[in-house]
Amino acid sequence: MKLNLQDSVYSPQDLKAIILEVRKYAHWAAQYTVKMRVSNDKSDQPPTISQTTTKIIKEWAEQNPLNEKSISELIASLEVLEATSPRITITLSAAPGSSLKKTLVMWCRENIDANILVDFLFNSTLLGGMVVRYGSHVYDWSFRRQILAARERFPEVLRRV
Amino acid sequence: MTDTTFFGVFLFIDVFVMGLLTSIAIRHAYAHFRPLKHDAKKSHLSAINDPLPAAVKEHLLKASQDQFQAMLNHSVDQLHHNLEDTSEQINNLIKRLATDVVSGELENYRSDLSKLHEQAEKDLGDIKKEVDGHQAELKVRLDQEIEAEKQQLIKQIDTKLADAVGSFLLETLQHNIDLGSQSSYLVEMLEEHKSDFTKEVADEAQSPR
Repeated sequence: MKLNLQDSVYSPQDLKAIILEVRKYAHWAAQYTVKMRVSNDKSDQPPTISQTTTKIIKEWAEQNPLNEKSISELIASLEVLEATSPRITITLSAAPGSSLKKTLVMWCRENIDANILVDFLFNSTLLGGMVVRYGSHVYDWSFRRQILAARERFPEVLRRV
Repeated sequence: MTDTTFFGVFLFIDVFVMGLLTSIAIRHAYAHFRPLKHDAKKSHLSAINDPLPAAVKEHLLKASQDQFQAMLNHSVDQLHHNLEDTSEQINNLIKRLATDVVSGELENYRSDLSKLHEQAEKDLGDIKKEVDGHQAELKVRLDQEIEAEKQQLIKQIDTKLADAVGSFLLETLQHNIDLGSQSSYLVEMLEEHKSDFTKEVADEAQSPR
């Protein structure tokens, strides 16, 4: 089964955290199964995992039986996704808000790849705009770049003032 | 040159004539002032041989002496007159020759001076022309160098000004960044370069991972 990443999972760190939580859940589930077999004690609570991970596990469980093998397949699928998903790095002039992040991620997933992972960085010296690194290309659309590129015209503009 | 030769011959002849006349005059003067021994000897001999009376002889002698004195005076006057004429002619000739020589030399001097003056003027004209040309060339070169230096300074000032303005903008704007207002701009930039991303995806799909 091919997994599609949710909108809230957009960065490699998010995906890695989900894989860790799923592993943690798988580990707990394995121990819980053995414990159930031996003592039938149901008091043991599952580990605290994020809503996103919970949702992924639930979605996976809707189409697959939730056992140790199935969870291992989920982990393998997530790892394949981590290894094969295209990645894009967007550097902004300040730490982006969630709505801006969502807007940019949505655009990337609609126009580049459905499972693209977006890494957000920030650098205040950019002043504005963004620097996008995708594959082997770096697209510098920052204000800093534009100012530096247009600085030759400053004296001409000042002479006209 | 011919005049000088003629003048030399003329002087030589004059000197010869003057010498001749001077010797004749000296001879007559000597005979006049020293007649005693010679004439006495002669008169003594003649007194022996001549039967003329002494008074007649004295009268004749006196007459001869007067005549001789008159002739001598006349000769002296004539010689004096000739000498004066000759001297005057020589002076005139010398004056004329001197005037001619001086005039010729002056004419030559003027001619040479005029030629030298013309040559000097021509040389000065050439030098002035050359100096003017060199000055014009230097002026053009200087103007070019000044213009190049001016452009270089303007370029340096523009570069420094651009750096200053750029640094000012970079320093000023980085403290007041509003990403919220840039959201549409960012999406617009992505849309503008959508084809680049699509091409990159296609290239990645073709190349093995």
